[in-house]
Amino acid sequence: MKLLLAEDTQDLNHALTTVLRMQKYDVDSVYDGLEAEKLLEENGYDGIILDIMMPGKSGLEVLHDIRERNITTPVLLLTAKSEIDDRVAGLDAGADDYLTKPFAMKELFARVRAMVRRGTEYSAKELHYGDVTLKSESLELSSLNTVRLSMKEFELMQTFVLNEDKELSTDFLLEHVWPEEPDASEDTVTLYINFLRGKLTSISAHVTIEGKSGRGFRLCRLGKETSDDSESHGSRQP
Amino acid sequence: MESIYGDNLPKMQATMEEVMNCISEVRQKLTAEYGMDPVEHCLCRIKSEESMREKCRRQGIPENTESALSVIHDAVGIRVVCAFISDVYRVRDFLKSLPQLSLVEEKDYIRKAKPNGYRSLHMIFRHENGLYVEIQLRTISQDTWAALEHNLKYKKSIGGNTELIVKELKRCADELASTDMSMQTLRDTISGLN
Repeated sequence: MKLLLAEDTQDLNHALTTVLRMQKYDVDSVYDGLEAEKLLEENGYDGIILDIMMPGKSGLEVLHDIRERNITTPVLLLTAKSEIDDRVAGLDAGADDYLTKPFAMKELFARVRAMVRRGTEYSAKELHYGDVTLKSESLELSSLNTVRLSMKEFELMQTFVLNEDKELSTDFLLEHVWPEEPDASEDTVTLYINFLRGKLTSISAHVTIEGKSGRGFRLCRLGKETSDDSESHGSRQP
Repeated sequence: MESIYGDNLPKMQATMEEVMNCISEVRQKLTAEYGMDPVEHCLCRIKSEESMREKCRRQGIPENTESALSVIHDAVGIRVVCAFISDVYRVRDFLKSLPQLSLVEEKDYIRKAKPNGYRSLHMIFRHENGLYVEIQLRTISQDTWAALEHNLKYKKSIGGNTELIVKELKRCADELASTDMSMQTLRDTISGLN
């Protein structure tokens, strides 16, 4: 499980990084909001720990920005005791939980575990990417046409939309979409990606999944070279 | 009473058979090429006297041969039910390449389904002898949906929540379309295209 930690106090940052790594988390740690945003653009995370008071960009600003960009990764805010208004603003802006300083490490671990657990259950009712809409209640994938996805196809598509424009490895996809299925393999991922590619074509979406097994996969937009009333069709022929 | 088709019935019959023979040819050709018959089954019919007259009345046009053969284009109708989506387009491309047929109209309700979920590829051709032939191409599951939906006759029913039924029929169509695409992907995987 991969965490992003943004905390500007050197000692605290170092201590948190060390103990979280001892708990087997894969931790990227940064010292300000701008660095945090940069990493969020490049990588997918299972949870984000954000200090509110940071130079460059505050934790609240980072939170606002990532929620606006469809990134629904759970966020735990670290706040000082006097920052009640910030905690309220943080929860309203889409934070999942907060922890007031000073805190016991035990409590931090418990909150991180709870946050990561909830994260996999999180789903927005409707997600958008390019000209594609994904609805969680009906498992509908729509563009010019609509199809109904299977549960696994939906979860895979959701993972791609929540990590838009990022390259996702086969291992990342196995860990996030097939976490309880030891039989799932690289072939499973490849087949399901091909299922989704076919379905994106059959709804005439200008979106596809790039990449090959062995390397990474990425959801991306296609150029609008074919107009909707052209003669091109929904089948994939060489 | 004289037939609405005048004395054109033998010519219509012959044209229909000619196109059916062409479809048999492409089946053989594609079977040799891909190791599998692209066509599950194929039906044809000449619109019955009664339905043709009824259609003329509905459209408010005179019940005569001119209307039946030149204004209305589905006096001769063929339905080709294919195994996979890619087969639908392979057969379409073949039909378009036939020198004696010119394409008058193509409506792709597979690419963009009708609001109720109906999916099919509709084509109208004009034979060089002047007759029109309507050809509908679709997959087995699209055909299943159309046949079952037609049988439900929910539009005329008194009981039941029509709006809910329409919504659920659309859901069935979208699920079948999804399965169709999965089967296509599996086929491409097996044949090493993916």
